[in-house]
Amino acid sequence: MALSPREVLARMLLMRRFEEMVITLARAHKLGRQHLAIGNEALGAAALMQLRAGDLIYTTHRNHGHMIARGVDPGKALAEILGRAGGLNGGKGGTWHMTDPSLGFQSTSAMVGGSIGLSVGGAFALKHKKTDNVAVALFGDGALDEGIAYEALNIASLYALPVLFLCENNSKEGEAQTSRLATKELTAVPKALKIACASVDGGDPEAAGKAVATALAHVRDGNGPYFLEAQLVRWPGSHQTVHAFTTGVTDVTAAWDSAKASNVHAEWQRTDPILRTARTLIARGTVTREDVVALDNAAAVTMAKARGFAEASPYPKPEAALAGVFV
Amino acid sequence: MSQKSFTVAMIDALAHSLKNDPNVVVIGAHSFLSDRGLKPEDERALWDAFPDRLIDPPTSEGVCTSLATGAAMAGMRPFLNYGTATFAYEAFNQIMSETANVHAMSGGQLRAPLTLHMFAGIRGGGAGQHSSSPQAMYANSAGLELVLPASPADAQGLLRSAIKSDNPTVVITHTKLLAMTGDVPDGDFTIPFGQARIAREGRDVTIVATSLMVREALKAAEALAKDGVEAEVVDPRTIVPLDAETICASVRKTGRLVTVDEGNALCSISSEISALVAERAFDALKAPILRVARPPVPIAFSPPLEAHVTPNADKVVAAVKKLTQA
Repeated sequence: MALSPREVLARMLLMRRFEEMVITLARAHKLGRQHLAIGNEALGAAALMQLRAGDLIYTTHRNHGHMIARGVDPGKALAEILGRAGGLNGGKGGTWHMTDPSLGFQSTSAMVGGSIGLSVGGAFALKHKKTDNVAVALFGDGALDEGIAYEALNIASLYALPVLFLCENNSKEGEAQTSRLATKELTAVPKALKIACASVDGGDPEAAGKAVATALAHVRDGNGPYFLEAQLVRWPGSHQTVHAFTTGVTDVTAAWDSAKASNVHAEWQRTDPILRTARTLIARGTVTREDVVALDNAAAVTMAKARGFAEASPYPKPEAALAGVFV
Repeated sequence: MSQKSFTVAMIDALAHSLKNDPNVVVIGAHSFLSDRGLKPEDERALWDAFPDRLIDPPTSEGVCTSLATGAAMAGMRPFLNYGTATFAYEAFNQIMSETANVHAMSGGQLRAPLTLHMFAGIRGGGAGQHSSSPQAMYANSAGLELVLPASPADAQGLLRSAIKSDNPTVVITHTKLLAMTGDVPDGDFTIPFGQARIAREGRDVTIVATSLMVREALKAAEALAKDGVEAEVVDPRTIVPLDAETICASVRKTGRLVTVDEGNALCSISSEISALVAERAFDALKAPILRVARPPVPIAFSPPLEAHVTPNADKVVAAVKKLTQA
């Protein structure tokens, strides 16, 4: 089932406004560091919106976008980032470890390579139960530096496990790279292990959606694992340690209004998946400028409500720190 | 003497080691040197002076440990920095089964002179995966020396000794100590392993504390002094080897012991020191030994939850009062 481009854009806008709200709240509440998914919206929405009930998801410290893309309650997610009792994990996980098993989120690990390893365990269980559900491992290109990546890819191929390895590659040749692989072709390792592979422009929700659909069909049909490399743009603020709107608060009208063009962030405005998708859909007549503004306003309203919920949620009682270690 | 931050003191130890021994190599240099309080020109000078010996490897803790250990066994003297301590768990097999065993398992024929450094501790918002205080696990390895510096001077002198040591040595730096400043002797110097430091003299109770907890113990001692209780604060500085004599002598003087440890209380450094005193100085004790340590729970993200389980000066004061008012 093909995704509606309008719904995908709406979800992407919510993902963007969520992260911008995180920056706002982080400043207001003096929070520590978060790893934001600004720039990853197209791939995130296109991939996570295609998953079904029963699919298992394994993600990383850069998980906010995945949570929102899959449909997690943004209020509960914000509350978790604030460490509140009403948060997804009751305040125990925070920004790095948000969890919502009702939507398939099994693990959000901040250990590099953690998601790849656990995903093959989920896939092993799914295969054992003879379902057509899949496990999805989300990870950055840097995770391929870890030995666990090689081991997990190998065993997934060897046992024909139903797992989609979805690599969000935001390293670009010539820039500071996260991954230090001896090959620049990230799919070379899975290819050598006989895993079906593809690479796609992760800034284009339509192309990414098609590539993910092909990958999911392959895995659901019992053909074993699939490795999809999504090439992402790197948001100039992706390594920020101080909370800042590095490229400014997103103004969707910059997609068509040349008066909003930035000299400093011209390259970002050209490649920003939000602006890019808006331009494409408007040019094609799928949406109007007014539609884009309306979708963006709706996202802002959702986030204002989410903020209200999160800030009204109390902190957990200190004694809760001692509870819940064992089942 | 000059005033230095904890991180600059450690970097100075590393710089002396690099200058004095061409076999010293730093793996994981960036997170040890950059944004750690050096003047930009000083940092640049370091990178320029040792372009082939300051290395930024892939995110591959396992093989980096094997590489450092293998290179140490073949005549080099590597300093491996993992960054956050939990990242070293990715290399636990290499550390525990390979590195720690090199010398003894070869019947003394081989040696692995390398330093494994990590930033640890409950740091504020680190949640379950970035708040570890893993010292007891390394103390339990049999074959690794374990260093827990608590001041800039100790950091520099102990790190210099770690790099000179012919044994594999784990150095754990508490994240909350990084910005601490203090007097550090000028020039190149070492502090020998196995020599505790009496951080404060007192007659009523001995507080044995390590790493960041030394600072909390000293704060507690100041507060207790106002109530007429004079606490002696002992910082073992190295756990392997451990200066049992200084600890027991202090307890013999005061008759009371509180151990302060940010690690999980279960099978911890504080457990070990408590057992040591129970075995060797039981007759000197006027009251039970108390441990102030982290309860055995994963650290939660939420600030009030984290605060509830973090050992601090108030908890030390409460423990001491329990003993002195009994």
